[in-house]
Amino acid sequence: MHPLRQILALTASAIRSIPARLGASLVTVIGVTTVMAVLVALLSLGEGVTYLAGKNVRADRAVVLSKGASASNSFLTRANIAIIADAPGVKKDDHGKPLLTAGTLVQVDLITNDSQRGNVFLIGFTNPAVYSEIRVVEGRYYRPGLHELIVSESVRSRYRDTGIGGHIQLHGEPWTIVGVFKDTGGFFDLNVFADGDTVLSAFGRNAFQQVVVQLDSAAAFDAFRHAVTTDPSLTVDVQTEAQNRLDTVKQLKGLLDFISYFVGGLMAIGAVCGALSSLYAAVDARRREIATLRAIGFSSGPVVVSVLVEGIVLALPAAVLGAAIAWLMFNGNVISTVGLTFPLAVTPHLALISLFWAVGIALLGGLLPALRAADLPVATALRAT
Amino acid sequence: MKFIPLVWAGIWRKRGRSILILAQTLIAFTLFGVLQGLSSGIKHAIDKTHADRLYVSSKVSLAEPLPMSLAERIQSVPGVLAVAQRMQFGGTYQKPTQPVPIVGTDPSAFFRMAPELELTPPQALSGIQNNLSGALIGADTLRELGWKVGDRVTLQTGVPRKDGSRSWTFQILGSFRNKDAPDQQQAGVIVNYRYVNEGRASGADRVNLFEIQIDDPRHAPQIAHSIDQVFANSPNETLTQSEHELITSQLKRVGDLDFIVHRITGAAFFVLLFATGALMMQSIRERTPELAVLKTVGYGDSRVMLLILAETTALCVCGALLGLGIAARLLPLARNFIGIAAISSDVLIAGVVVAIAVALAAGSIPAWRGLRLRVADALADR
Repeated sequence: MHPLRQILALTASAIRSIPARLGASLVTVIGVTTVMAVLVALLSLGEGVTYLAGKNVRADRAVVLSKGASASNSFLTRANIAIIADAPGVKKDDHGKPLLTAGTLVQVDLITNDSQRGNVFLIGFTNPAVYSEIRVVEGRYYRPGLHELIVSESVRSRYRDTGIGGHIQLHGEPWTIVGVFKDTGGFFDLNVFADGDTVLSAFGRNAFQQVVVQLDSAAAFDAFRHAVTTDPSLTVDVQTEAQNRLDTVKQLKGLLDFISYFVGGLMAIGAVCGALSSLYAAVDARRREIATLRAIGFSSGPVVVSVLVEGIVLALPAAVLGAAIAWLMFNGNVISTVGLTFPLAVTPHLALISLFWAVGIALLGGLLPALRAADLPVATALRAT
Repeated sequence: MKFIPLVWAGIWRKRGRSILILAQTLIAFTLFGVLQGLSSGIKHAIDKTHADRLYVSSKVSLAEPLPMSLAERIQSVPGVLAVAQRMQFGGTYQKPTQPVPIVGTDPSAFFRMAPELELTPPQALSGIQNNLSGALIGADTLRELGWKVGDRVTLQTGVPRKDGSRSWTFQILGSFRNKDAPDQQQAGVIVNYRYVNEGRASGADRVNLFEIQIDDPRHAPQIAHSIDQVFANSPNETLTQSEHELITSQLKRVGDLDFIVHRITGAAFFVLLFATGALMMQSIRERTPELAVLKTVGYGDSRVMLLILAETTALCVCGALLGLGIAARLLPLARNFIGIAAISSDVLIAGVVVAIAVALAAGSIPAWRGLRLRVADALADR
């Protein structure tokens, strides 16, 4: 008989016998399902962060920071900003004013509805028009020179006294909330905005931290970066908005992925043990059948393949089930941590990862039982009861 | 005692399966040990806080600096014994993946307030008072980065110097170790605030925190209130917290994340145990005829039951101990993230208790069947 037909025949027989060994097979299925549910659920944290960082990113926006600095320790003076505004590629608005905003970041503690201290970032912008995706949905924009703020919808729903008309005390001065904004991207979901120059003077600062520039087009980025980074009076780095956001969340994402793969990896080893024992049981139960087939001329290769395929047949649906459980239970759940809110995102990419892991678990768990099946001493096995 | 060989034989009857059960228990308890080790480590750190130390930060947030000039007015509040400023900033050594936290302070006040920090050599403290660019290094940082006392090291930081560069050079004068918390990561670099303050390009005379020592822990709430009262409605409103409050509020910021990771991994732990239990049940079910033989040769019902329970317990506890051992080896790897290096004994005890509970639960059904087993039926395979 052709080896391929041998494989088919043996595999079909293996799969037909699964219901007879339901208990042992269930151990594999439950094991793989759990591992994949856990792995996918944990990875969806990191995936959510990436999703958030990438949402509403525009290729025609560039971010300028001091050379080698992050947003928290970058230092850009008004003179620096004037030079950046003159660089080629910066888009002008209808009045010929460069579309560029300097930003200064202040970490601010607010009290949550359940009386905990939480922190949000107050960002002072000189020209909020650069962020066209941010819209004031209630009240109005702040006015320059006044201690006025606008808050995001989620800040208002999470923190005490942050509705319109509310006050936040900063450095001994009350700041009035005059509007609520909606950011369709969600990256500014835990932010409070105010006028940049007003924030600088209120916080005793003399420099901004970052500059965001609206370019004429995405193609203008290289020319803009070249002009700004080679200007001898500036020592700055220029990034695309996408790169800048990824840098911002890199640490959090790295930590989340580390936890995911650490816990997922440990559990996968556990699942391999489960698969091993259930496939050993499968081979044991089919000893006589396998020996008979070997005796009538089946070779050992197809026996190995059939055991491995049985493992995969058990593991693949389990992986899909696990990913589905993770999706049902966690997808879209919003997490709020260290100044960022992000949704858990169970994406097709994660489902694919879980399928790969499942096949890996099945192959690792199936290999030893398969070799035992192939090595079965035919005569002894036939005599066995 | 004569049962031990019997239990032993039962365990090794099917070597492969027992090894698998062992491996699965081991993995479940590795997970348990790491997770519980982390949370109990954090709890221990909170328990060890000093009630006679308060921290004054800006009311805006911990990230917002305060002017150095506040120190004198804080010192004059009744009950305040000593004040040490802290300018905290991050540095890296040679490559971005080697972060080193730096604290600029008045080293003599800082170490006087923290007698638990042990200096080697002891004269390093007078050394750093005389050498402005001196630095005292956490013992673990010193060892991990391969530094030696006397070395001059250059750190890349986020603080620009007057010449525009962000690298600062310090001379290592000694190391310190927290003798009350040997499990914790002994990290960081303590330098003279005055040196950094004079050299930096911006933000002069600003610090992140003031650490203060008070006369009596019972006066803490009152002293904290008086300090905040002094600065109320001024441009520099303060928030004075105890060490305990400071740490717990920092931990709370991680918020939802901690909760969800624990929920997911907790569920994972129980499913792993469930799978192990199922395996053990299966293994004993297969041996029904053997149990019947034991009864035939005169073993009583309860003996057979005990035998089964002893077997599952032995396997489970061995797996758990191995897993907890692995967790204890793994935890130190995580200390760069969370600063805790050892697994505590209560985690070990909790682990063994859980292991016994699982073993009894998984063993109870087959044990009960063993108890009720009718010899004739079992031998006839009915």
